[in-house]
Amino acid sequence: MPTTAPQASTATILRAAGVRKSFVMGDTRIEVLKGCDLTIRPGEFIAIEGRSGSGKSTLLHIMGALDEADDGTIEYAGRDLARESSSARAGVRNCEFGFVFQFYHLLPELSVLENTMLAAMIENSWFSFRSRRAELRDAASAILKSLGLEHRLKHRPAQLSGGERQRVAIARALMNKPKVLFADEPTGNLDADTGRQIMAVLEKLHRDAGQTIIMVTHDRALARTADRVLVLKDGILKNADRTPSTTG
Amino acid sequence: MYKLTLILKYLRKRRIAWVSLLAVILCTAMVLVVISVMGGWLRMFKEGFHGATGDIVIARPGSLSGFPYYQEMIERIEQLPEVNGAAPMLRSGGLMKIGGYRDVVQVVGLVPEKMGRVNGFTQSLFRQTQNADTATNQPSFKLPLPADEYRAYADRAVTDPADWPGAIVGTYVIARKNEKGELERPAAAYRLPMTITVLGIDEESSSVDINNKVQRPYWVVDDSRTKIWQIDDKTIYVPFELLQKDLRMEAFGDAPARTNEVAIGLKPGTNLEAARAKIRDIVIDIAKARNLPMEEIDGVVALGAPVKVMLWQEVNAKFIGAVEREKVLVTMLFGIISIVAVFLIFCIFFMIVVEKTRDIGIIKSVGATSAGVAQVFLGYGLAIGLTGAVLGTLAGYLIVKNINWLHEMMGTLMGVKIWDAETYAFDTIPNTLNPNEMIVIFCVAVIASVIGALVPAIRAARLNPVEALRWE
Repeated sequence: MPTTAPQASTATILRAAGVRKSFVMGDTRIEVLKGCDLTIRPGEFIAIEGRSGSGKSTLLHIMGALDEADDGTIEYAGRDLARESSSARAGVRNCEFGFVFQFYHLLPELSVLENTMLAAMIENSWFSFRSRRAELRDAASAILKSLGLEHRLKHRPAQLSGGERQRVAIARALMNKPKVLFADEPTGNLDADTGRQIMAVLEKLHRDAGQTIIMVTHDRALARTADRVLVLKDGILKNADRTPSTTG
Repeated sequence: MYKLTLILKYLRKRRIAWVSLLAVILCTAMVLVVISVMGGWLRMFKEGFHGATGDIVIARPGSLSGFPYYQEMIERIEQLPEVNGAAPMLRSGGLMKIGGYRDVVQVVGLVPEKMGRVNGFTQSLFRQTQNADTATNQPSFKLPLPADEYRAYADRAVTDPADWPGAIVGTYVIARKNEKGELERPAAAYRLPMTITVLGIDEESSSVDINNKVQRPYWVVDDSRTKIWQIDDKTIYVPFELLQKDLRMEAFGDAPARTNEVAIGLKPGTNLEAARAKIRDIVIDIAKARNLPMEEIDGVVALGAPVKVMLWQEVNAKFIGAVEREKVLVTMLFGIISIVAVFLIFCIFFMIVVEKTRDIGIIKSVGATSAGVAQVFLGYGLAIGLTGAVLGTLAGYLIVKNINWLHEMMGTLMGVKIWDAETYAFDTIPNTLNPNEMIVIFCVAVIASVIGALVPAIRAARLNPVEALRWE
């Protein structure tokens, strides 16, 4: 059931055009993306649905400037990310994008609070961080509190449940107030109840804060919580049939 | 900020890195101890040779017959403002008989009164200088005991024992070190009759004739310890005039008196090379006037065995060079062993980078640049290097400063004795540190650690974030 989301702007925040990507496996070249086109408006919640191995995560990584396409363009705020330098793309990942992964990907040596502040630590130099430390700590604590983790600030990831870890991952992704939040199978490693809680968090973010979210999932029911659902099949993105599905 | 945070976290949490830290500590301490002990040994060796030689020596290496007109040289050299004193010295092989003990020795003829201004001979004397009870501080070959005592000790002598000259022996000719490293002199140390046999040298042919054998009795009046074993074990010092006479090098008819060495002491702070040039000018001047073979006069190189003006280092180059090479060799060996530490750091860091591949992907996904990731691991290496170098230098410092106590404890508790006080001329293991060497070792330890972390850091930086995130 789609959420009652704020009306998305007609402007474009992120656009993929003619994105191609192939991988070499042994002697075979497998073309995963065969020219994907996608336009995302600010405030949209988009789900990309597809079977395992369909290339949806690859597309997400390319749009999120984590990976490079063989061909095509990724335009973010008028910049072609494919033409940007590696450090410029890192800057976009740090300040403009946020990522939530299926396996949480938290740093085991850092506490919940430190994991949350990681993007801010990367953004700020030592001196800058020292001068803003209290402000950043408060901001991270506030995000964690909004996610119900205020009692877990000093805990290590290993001391948390799967759902808590994923909420910490969401908090980390939100720390630098990203323009676009990329979620790669955010509930894929969680049980159904916890998965619903995480989805509720994402929906709330979208609904209350107008957060632009691009989520990939193989779960059709989960995908249908988004404003718009696209299906990646045979390397091509298509608009999904919005008929309710019985599959998991 | 994340770099420092991660470095400190990894330093505390990744205990495998402590192995590389331990390697840096051990290698730093080991090299520091080796360099300090070997350096201290070399320095003591040099001081010993310098003290035994003087600053500059005029000699005629390769000639037994020496060179004449040395008095003229000394007279003119002593007028130089930078010269403290100059004295003739004779060196010859000889046979010593003391009690029932016979040995081949080096017989040195010198003028003890003049040696105080030339080299450290005066300070090396036990009875006349070092022993507060008997010190006169005016070195001489005079017999210290009443004539009757000498007559009583050599009652069957053909000549009057009270007329025999005094001789000073190298400390180890009469004394030995006990297990504690203390010198033990026999009760009759300075009542020992001794016979020295030398062979006279023909000036013309520089040959030795067995018929020129001269045997002379002496009384041991003192012992000299230069702290150079080779000198202190096999050297007998006798009055210059007597040895000159016995070697047939005294003035005879028209032939002037000869010596085979003039030792020169300079005033403190004098530039050795500049002083040598001035002295060489004097010697060349005399050589020209007296037709002496100098190594080079006006570009003409002399054949045979010319007279040379040498610095003390050149005179003892053979011995000092050997110890210097030994120091370099040992330092190199331990340096090579220390490369193991670099390799260990490389292996451990490589393991850490492999283990942390996913973390690298995470950091990159949150916006870290490749350079930033490289800096994390280089900084980690630097932190290991700095910590290891600080602790290693401290450990090395404490070991070197307490090395004699540690050695004594090892001897007491385990019966291990590495530095044999009976063998070495030095009483204790050198325990001084050279600050410059400490700084160099510290820097090398830090640089080596960073080098060890370099390749793993580059690997980490080059990791594709997506591949890193998928790392199993």
